Parts: sequence; structure tokens; C-alpha cells
Amino acid sequence: MQKSTSKHMTNKVCVLGAGSTKYGKLNESIIEIALNASKDAIESAGITPKDIQAGYISNVFGVVDKQVHMAPVIMSNLGIPNVPGLTIESACGSGSVMFREAYANIAAGFYDCVLALGVEKITHTGTTQSTTLFSYCSDFFYEGGNGASFPGLFASIARVYMTTHKANEEDLAYVAVKNHENGILNPKAHVRKKITVDDVMKSPVVASPLKLYDCCPFSDGASAVILCNEEFAKKSQKPYVEVIGSGRGASPAAVQAREDITTIPSTISAAKQAYKMAGITPKDIDFAEVHDCFTIAEIIDIEDLGFFPKGTAAHAVTEGATRRNGEIPINPSGGLKSKGHPIGATGVGQVVEVFEQFTGKAGERTVKNAETALTHNFGATGASAAVHIFRKVQ
Amino acid sequence: MSAREKFIASAKKNKILANKCSYCGHTMLETVNYCEKCFGSKFETIELEGIGKVVTYTIQAVAPEGFEDAGSYAWVVFKVDNAPFRASGFLPRIATPKDLPIGTTVKVTGFDPKHGLLLQKL
Repeated sequence: MQKSTSKHMTNKVCVLGAGSTKYGKLNESIIEIALNASKDAIESAGITPKDIQAGYISNVFGVVDKQVHMAPVIMSNLGIPNVPGLTIESACGSGSVMFREAYANIAAGFYDCVLALGVEKITHTGTTQSTTLFSYCSDFFYEGGNGASFPGLFASIARVYMTTHKANEEDLAYVAVKNHENGILNPKAHVRKKITVDDVMKSPVVASPLKLYDCCPFSDGASAVILCNEEFAKKSQKPYVEVIGSGRGASPAAVQAREDITTIPSTISAAKQAYKMAGITPKDIDFAEVHDCFTIAEIIDIEDLGFFPKGTAAHAVTEGATRRNGEIPINPSGGLKSKGHPIGATGVGQVVEVFEQFTGKAGERTVKNAETALTHNFGATGASAAVHIFRKVQ
Repeated sequence: MSAREKFIASAKKNKILANKCSYCGHTMLETVNYCEKCFGSKFETIELEGIGKVVTYTIQAVAPEGFEDAGSYAWVVFKVDNAPFRASGFLPRIATPKDLPIGTTVKVTGFDPKHGLLLQKL
């Protein structure tokens, strides 16, 4: 658990620019994908690479595109080979965990302006190898090594949730339908396709009780943001977003070791810290981008984040409470489910969505009158997580 | 012999190897290095009967590499009898949820380098 931040963190941290590639099957190399998102973020912030004092890169499977030690390669190709870079891996939560480190270094005063970039390229390995690679993110001795894929791990969580809280597979399907409804409006989304509850129910079983449309796709893609202190942001005279809360949490790595399999302790811990730092409660959040790698994950997330009491979120989703015009819009970007899940980039992509929402760039998927937003992203089955809270700067 | 090698050796005898903390008596899987309750690092090793009740599971329709030839199987989380912890394993020949109601008793039958901790229904 982090200590009180007031004594340690002195600088306000702002998101000054943001950019993403399209998520999906991309032909470029992982470095080219990373550079495309970086250039978009740099242009969006109205800076040049010479303003960047450090690079934070999140990635998991660079090795399958023949590139590890990625940060120096990216910095070199941005024309700033002498600027230090760092690559961070935390499975599917890599982007948010990396964002947190970039945030902390600005807050602590080490840097005025940094690049925070997440990237992944995996679709070229095919479904079987991708499934296997992802299973290495589990507690492999107990999980992947005994035959569990990630859909399988979340399926086992879903089975307990449905038994304990009287939810059913149709309830889960509503999460997918809603996120696809949002993703259709996102030009960067991987799967822009309207689906129905019936489509989800009739889709092939991947790991019972989860079916194909309960699962996010394997995606390539990159997302990047420029983070800076408030003085730098104000001088730029560009629109920016302030980070007002940050938290990190951890859970037992293996599902078998969770006291309550229907909750993710790392989410609860990270959210508690972020709300405390921001001085707000879940009721003050206008929309959230959460980690919906599988439909059951979004149900559990929105309970653990405090938007709904335990055991009630499935019903709330079917009632429309999480749609864009609902009580608490969840995943207006389309989420991992529709926008896609390039795992090193996902956590950063959520911040890109917040930036676009708060700077008038979200088009038809804009959440009306939103001023405060939350991002939540976790690694594996929630073994690691980060939560951030953002405020629109008028 | 490493902790995992010891765990595997016990599994091959149909047992689950556990560590009992010498300070507070808390029992954990053998692969845990420090006591979860008191952070002690001295343990008495105990072998438990590899029997437990199914807590949850999935039936993998899309199997990861190494399991393509396993037929229809379940990955199972089970509460180990007479221990405060759960373990996970590979249970072959499970085709539908009707084959495996929650609470079913399962038994460790070995450890396979390819498929991990092997289980069967009792």
C-alpha cells in the first residue's frame, strides 16, 4: 500500500497530448507501430522530441517480433538517442503500470515532460500461439501448466460469480453488446460490429461458460501520451487533462489463492488509493474505462471500483446503467472487447480515450457533460492493477 | 531438490505437499517460501492426501499448446481436504458441466510433464 502522497508528490501531472494507431491486425513492425502512435502524441501535444526528457514504454511480447530492449530503439528512431528510456512489463496491465511510473517521475520532479508509450504486436503468431503466450502471464505452475488459458481462468471466475450472485450467461452478454455499441463509433477500434445478446449466446464456446463474444480479441496496436508538469502544460497553451488520482494494487497471482474469487483485491486497493488522492468517491466519476478482457471482468471491475454493490452489476448492466447515456457510462471507447487489446498498449489507450473525451475529439461517442473520469487496467487475472483519475481542465 | 520438484514428487505419490509454519502453525502449499501469516521461513513439510472438492473449473474448448491432444478436459480449482488452501489441476474426460458439479470430490493421480497436476473424479 502506498504511503500518503502529499509529503512526496509535489507537482501536478498533466496529459498534454495523446495518440493511438488503429487497433487490430497491423502489418508494420512493432517499432513502426510504436513510432506511429508516438508521433501522433507528440503532434497532439504541440511539442517536438527535444522536449521529451525520458521515455516510458510498456510491452509484453516484443520478442515475437524480434525486439526486446525496445525503449532505446524507439528513442533512437524519434531522434533522441541520448534520452533515457525504460521498458516495463506487467502482462495486460503493462500500460497502466508504466503510466503510473511515468506519472510518479513527473510528480516527484525528476522530469518536466515524458513520453508514455504502450505497444504490442502479436496477431502474426496466430490464435494457438497467442493463447499459449498469454498463458505465460498466469501463475504458470498452477494455471497455464495445468491447461488453463486466459479465457479458461476468467471462465472459472465467471462460474463462481454466476453461482454466488445468481447471474447468468445472458447477463454477461449484455456487456459485450454495450461495448460493441460504443466501439462502432470509434474509428480506431479493432472489432467495429454491432452484435446482439443472441449473437453472443450462439457464438462458439472458447472455455465454458465463456464464448467467443465474451472474449476480447488478440490485437496489435500502440497508444502514447505526453505527460508533463502543470507549468509545462500551461506554457504550451494547448488543451490538457490533469491526473488527480493514482493507485496501484496487487492480488495473489493464482486464482486458487484468492479468498473471494468473485473480486479482484488489486482493483479495490488501487481504486481506494486513487479516490483518496483525488479527494472524491465513485459517485463523482462521470465515466470509466475499465479492464473488460472478458465480459465477466467488467462486471467484477465495476463492483470493485465502487460503482455498484457486490453482486448487483450484472443486473445493472442489463438495465442499461453502463451505456453511454446511463448512470455511469463504462468503456465509451468500446473497451478491450471492441476497441481491442494490444496488451502492452491497453492501459495507455484508456488514457488516450479520456484525453479525447475531455478535449473534444471523441466525436459521436462523447459522454456529455463529463469532467471527471477513471481508468482501470490489470495484469493477468488481476494480480497487478493500476487506477487513475483525471479531471477536465476548462 | 527444489520446492517445485518436491511438490511434483509428492503429486506422483497422489499427495499434495504442504509447508506448516514452525512459528504459527499456518499451512500453505510447499511452493510458498515465507509464511503468509507471520513471514516465518522455517517449516515442517507435511504430505496431505491429494483429495479435495471442486470449487470452480472451466472446460477448455480452445486448448493452449501442449493440450491440443488432451481431448475434452477441465482445468479445476479444488479445496484441499484438511488444509486451508486450494490447488489447481488438469482433469481429463470432462465434456459438459453435467460431468462436474461444483463440490465434486477429486483426487490427485500424478504429475505429467506435459499436462501438469493430474486429477480424477472420485
